[in-house]
Amino acid sequence: MLRFILRRILAMLPVLAIVLVVTFLATRALPGDPVLVMLSDHSSDAALAARLRADYGLDQPLWRQFLTYVLGALQGNFGLSFKYVRVPVVDVLKDGLAISPLLATAALALALPLGTLAGVIAAVKRNTSADTAIILVLVAGLSIPNFAIATFLVYLFSIKLALLPVAGWGRLDQAVLPIIILAIPSAAYIARLARTFMLEVLQQDYIRTARAKGLKDTLVIGRHALRNIMIPLLTSAGIIFGGLLSNTFVIETIFNIPGLGRIAIDSIFARDYPVAMAIVVLFTLFFIIINLAVDVAYALIDPRLRARMLAA
Amino acid sequence: MSDMTTADVTHQLAPSEPRRMLRRFLRQRNAVAGGIIVAVVITMALLAPWITPHPIAQTDLLNSWGPPTADNWLGADKLGRDILSRLIAGARTSLFVAGAVLAITLAVGILIGMIAGFNGGRVDAVLMRIVDATLAFPEVVIAILVAAVLGPGLGTVIVSLALVWWPGIARLTRSLVLVLREELFIDAAIVAGTPTWAILWRHLLPNIVAPILVRASVGVGFIIMAEATLSFLGLGIQEPAASWGGMIRDGLPVLRSDPSLALFGSLALGTTIIGFNLLGDGLRDILDPRLHGR
Repeated sequence: MLRFILRRILAMLPVLAIVLVVTFLATRALPGDPVLVMLSDHSSDAALAARLRADYGLDQPLWRQFLTYVLGALQGNFGLSFKYVRVPVVDVLKDGLAISPLLATAALALALPLGTLAGVIAAVKRNTSADTAIILVLVAGLSIPNFAIATFLVYLFSIKLALLPVAGWGRLDQAVLPIIILAIPSAAYIARLARTFMLEVLQQDYIRTARAKGLKDTLVIGRHALRNIMIPLLTSAGIIFGGLLSNTFVIETIFNIPGLGRIAIDSIFARDYPVAMAIVVLFTLFFIIINLAVDVAYALIDPRLRARMLAA
Repeated sequence: MSDMTTADVTHQLAPSEPRRMLRRFLRQRNAVAGGIIVAVVITMALLAPWITPHPIAQTDLLNSWGPPTADNWLGADKLGRDILSRLIAGARTSLFVAGAVLAITLAVGILIGMIAGFNGGRVDAVLMRIVDATLAFPEVVIAILVAAVLGPGLGTVIVSLALVWWPGIARLTRSLVLVLREELFIDAAIVAGTPTWAILWRHLLPNIVAPILVRASVGVGFIIMAEATLSFLGLGIQEPAASWGGMIRDGLPVLRSDPSLALFGSLALGTTIIGFNLLGDGLRDILDPRLHGR
């Protein structure tokens, strides 16, 4: 098992290496001298310029800058921000770091049971009006962008019904709408997968056997069928969580939540490249970790795969 | 040699085939509904400069957030610009991005996929590695990178979406070419000394174009959604040009007092994407031979 995990980690190193090289090159190749921007009114102050250049390591040869960058990044140190002069990038990101993964996890916890339930119902009641209704909702959930759905829901719940706050972060009721809206496309995606898998599983011999034994429908579905759709669902968990993480950008913008997504957008407009690039690296890392976790969980759950892995 | 290819193609598209396909298409109510929506949106986008009731950048600060009137059917935005006109112009932005992204990804993806699939061996290995590496990066990450380097704007949207979409097309093309490569008419062309570019262009391309176009049609909805998302985040086309995503962003803060901008923007965007998805699914169903007979 350990060897399997190690091998997966090794396979992911190239991606991390590429992202480090690309982010480094992007920050250095960009037009404009960041030190001149920082100096603004003090552009004639040569001593200050030299000190800033030294602080930011911009007086070093390029290869040494790259080395410093890579070694720093590996230790979680992404240098200094351009916008907040001399403030470490880590301090700019600190407060937002946990928010995006937290939102994504909460949304997944909501989307998974909801989506599975909807998909299973649609499959069991195939070609009935319930199935059609669920499919219609799924198409809408998958087609309409998050922020368009948010527009309607905020209008309905926060403004017309005045049940929930319009925006903000820190209180529990402020997290309700963001999490629900974040969960909608994922729930729709999960439901579509669950419906497809369920339709397939329901045609298997062991389901017929279970029915022939005289088991109740709820037991056949709940015990025999449900377990077998969990494995293919789990393989898609990486894609689902990745999509959730991406959508936090939009949700954080709509609801004014100070997460990594908001910080990333702000840093692009402020031309604060070190911050933007640190977020690129962090998000890549998130995705790598998710995929690793999915692979490991998959191996743990499916005995066939475990056997093949141990043999390898 | 080209006679054989022509024969092959005409065999696939026998005279009655288009009519049969049309019949099959018309039987699918969802696809027809999608087709009608798409036709309306495309017409709007093409005619936008002539049919907008007002110039889209014409401001009227006295009419800021003006209500719907006989002159401004859907009301006015913060700067007093006509919302209906900007909705129509937004369709043009969305479709322009979708068209540009499709053109780039199809050109690059098909070329790379054909070269990889046809040559095989080391060329294939290297090209597919590049494809895998690109696919390993989440879309958001690519979008931030491109936006940071190029700055917000239409170019950023097109480049980042093209970067996200080309590997899929390359992969699909390669798999189609791998199958075709085993066909006799390709061997015959090689034996006859046809140059590689001519084999790719004249013999392979006509035979793979249909499934690739189907894949592309399914992708249009997603591209429009991605464009709107980037515009919503402020990374897309800049003012005074109009985009649905940007209109929704501008409308959200005033949802309480003047909801029409965000609501109509969302409605236009949602309807368009659903239209393209329904049409794309319908096209896939009638063109995908595996689904025939169902």
